[in-house]
Amino acid sequence: MALFIYLHFPALQLDHLQLSAESDRQLPVALVDLQHQLVQLNPAAIKAGLKQHMGLASAAALCPDLQLLPYQPEQQAKILHNVAQQLYQVSSDIALDKPAGLILRLEGMLQLYGGLKPYWQELSAKLSALTYRYQYSCGATPYAAKCLAYQQAGLITVDNRLFDKALNSSPLSATELSPAMQQQMIRLGIHTLGQLQSLPPAELARRFDSQLLSYLGRLRGDYYHALEYFQPEPGFSRYMELLYDISDSNVLIKPLAKLLQQLEQQLRRTNCQCYQLLLSLFFRDNPPLKLSIGSAQGEYKAQAWLALCQLQLENLPLPEPVYGLQLDVNHFAGQQHTTEALFNQHQARMSALQLISLLQARLGHAAVSGLTLQDQHLPEMASKRSLPLTKGAIGQAVLPLRPAFLFTRPQPLTEAVTINQGPERLCPDGWQLGAQRDYYIGRNQQGQWLWLFRTVSQQWFIHGLFS
Amino acid sequence: MSTLLDQLARRQLLWQGDSQQLAYRAVASGYPELDQQLGGGLPATGLIDIQTEAGIGELRLLLPYLQQQQQQSQRLLVFIGPPAELCADMLAGSGLELSQLLIITPGEQPAFGQSSDELAKLTQPAKNPQSVKKLSPQQQALWAAEQCLQSGCCASVLLWPAVISLAQARRLQLAAEQGAASMIVFRHSSQALSLPVNLSISLKPDPQGLQLTVLKRKGSWPAAPFRISMQQKWPVLCLTGTAAEPLRQAV
Repeated sequence: MALFIYLHFPALQLDHLQLSAESDRQLPVALVDLQHQLVQLNPAAIKAGLKQHMGLASAAALCPDLQLLPYQPEQQAKILHNVAQQLYQVSSDIALDKPAGLILRLEGMLQLYGGLKPYWQELSAKLSALTYRYQYSCGATPYAAKCLAYQQAGLITVDNRLFDKALNSSPLSATELSPAMQQQMIRLGIHTLGQLQSLPPAELARRFDSQLLSYLGRLRGDYYHALEYFQPEPGFSRYMELLYDISDSNVLIKPLAKLLQQLEQQLRRTNCQCYQLLLSLFFRDNPPLKLSIGSAQGEYKAQAWLALCQLQLENLPLPEPVYGLQLDVNHFAGQQHTTEALFNQHQARMSALQLISLLQARLGHAAVSGLTLQDQHLPEMASKRSLPLTKGAIGQAVLPLRPAFLFTRPQPLTEAVTINQGPERLCPDGWQLGAQRDYYIGRNQQGQWLWLFRTVSQQWFIHGLFS
Repeated sequence: MSTLLDQLARRQLLWQGDSQQLAYRAVASGYPELDQQLGGGLPATGLIDIQTEAGIGELRLLLPYLQQQQQQSQRLLVFIGPPAELCADMLAGSGLELSQLLIITPGEQPAFGQSSDELAKLTQPAKNPQSVKKLSPQQQALWAAEQCLQSGCCASVLLWPAVISLAQARRLQLAAEQGAASMIVFRHSSQALSLPVNLSISLKPDPQGLQLTVLKRKGSWPAAPFRISMQQKWPVLCLTGTAAEPLRQAV
């Protein structure tokens, strides 16, 4: 026998919003759709006597300090998707039922968990960790489970008789029938699903359209109900809308820490780490600011990522207050563990790669570099700033007498020097004789050792310092 | 009497002038005169203060030491804020491993690898500068130095600061001890402020090499100025007895 659980989240978007602000739970908040009806209410608003589908005028009359926010279906869909992703760790067959429901097929899962009770225990622990309010019920078909969940039946059983009993006494408002159809039924004196199901199908087919019959068929399990099961996507993408605009980049750390925690959970479950985060800050007027935060070693811990983000955000002037944060990770990689010598007395606090990520986060990528030797005879081309810790070509001949410091712009010589060695003639590629330089080593009156060159036009320049 | 002396010495109440105990582990500097004067060499950890003019041979003095530091522990060598571009030929020629070398130039802002033009566009019209603590290049250099020292993955850090205060030096010394790293600070001799360091030396140019004065040494007292000859290691960078005549007075 097939068994399904339906999970209904009555206020998904609102609960998600309130996650980011614990302190304001007492404030009545409601979401309003385009028809100016209340769609989602928080507990404080329900306590004030507000109900779903109430108009704005009566809501304002009942509760003058009600806070209203717009209902965003695409936002809600994203959250539902995230919930499915979280539950996928516990249950394999999950189908999204937009806008606010999930259908879980249990057949395989009962075998895995050894019964409905341990399975439900696992699932409800996961659900309560998500802190969204939810209603649930089992059912023999998806529609039956949905109908029972809407009535908050909370049936966790495999007993078919209990389902039938509960279904037969269900009001039509909990079904999928359109409001016009429900109205029609009530005029005929049909108030419960039991009454409807006792009528012969042939009679119903004659009087009503095919929609009703197909619904009833699926409810009973006579017709096949096709479900599209959820497939988790690689990567991580979360958006968080802030309850208040934040203009100080240090305050941004707090909501960001929550997002990073979620990332850590996901990375830990899959035993992965990531090398780069993409953080987008959304502004009301300006285009969103995209930051990429990298870690050369790869991290999964929220703490480590938070420290890197903090360093980067500290340097960042915000053009205007931020109203939303989006965190994306496109690529996950397997975790790697560094091995350390057993008898090494000194324990390094971090690895070289971690140190470089730390420095780059604060000082910028251009400020941290390595040095490689190039196969060039011209001094200004022989040394090249490269990415940190890159190995240059091996076995290159080293020119011995070169100064430690080279000036990027040679300075004209303005003092008396004693020439100690020279000349060494260097000519640029292609034998441009006009650009050739004769290099000398000289010492000035202060005892500094200079690397000098003379151009073809007999001008003297200091190119470096033998430090 | 000698039993009493023994007892006192064992309880470390008595300190004898002729047995100087080094306060740090010494690494041979590669110059025999220096090793002899410093009782073994330069400190392996902690702060080393060098008061010098640029370009008289201060880095050449340190190169054998840096090479040993890098090779012994297989850790990084960090140059923070060098006065000009470093030359790879010279460093590789004296045996340093270039891939284990890090150059930090504070104050270089535009970042490659990021969407920099977008960033620049957004950061320009910032009207609320009070929310962002912008560090000066000097502060950035000191911050980077402290991070490198603490991390434990750097053998030596070389810093060319404009000025360094007593409190900053103390902090860097602690960080260096924590990460078992050494830190070398190059200062102009005009900044005569004494710092809490393991070793403080002052360098003067000399035709044969360098004139070195030990200003301060932990667990010991300063010695008279002495000369370090570079004739062997860098014969070209020493004046021979008959000094060549100044070739040219530039205009």
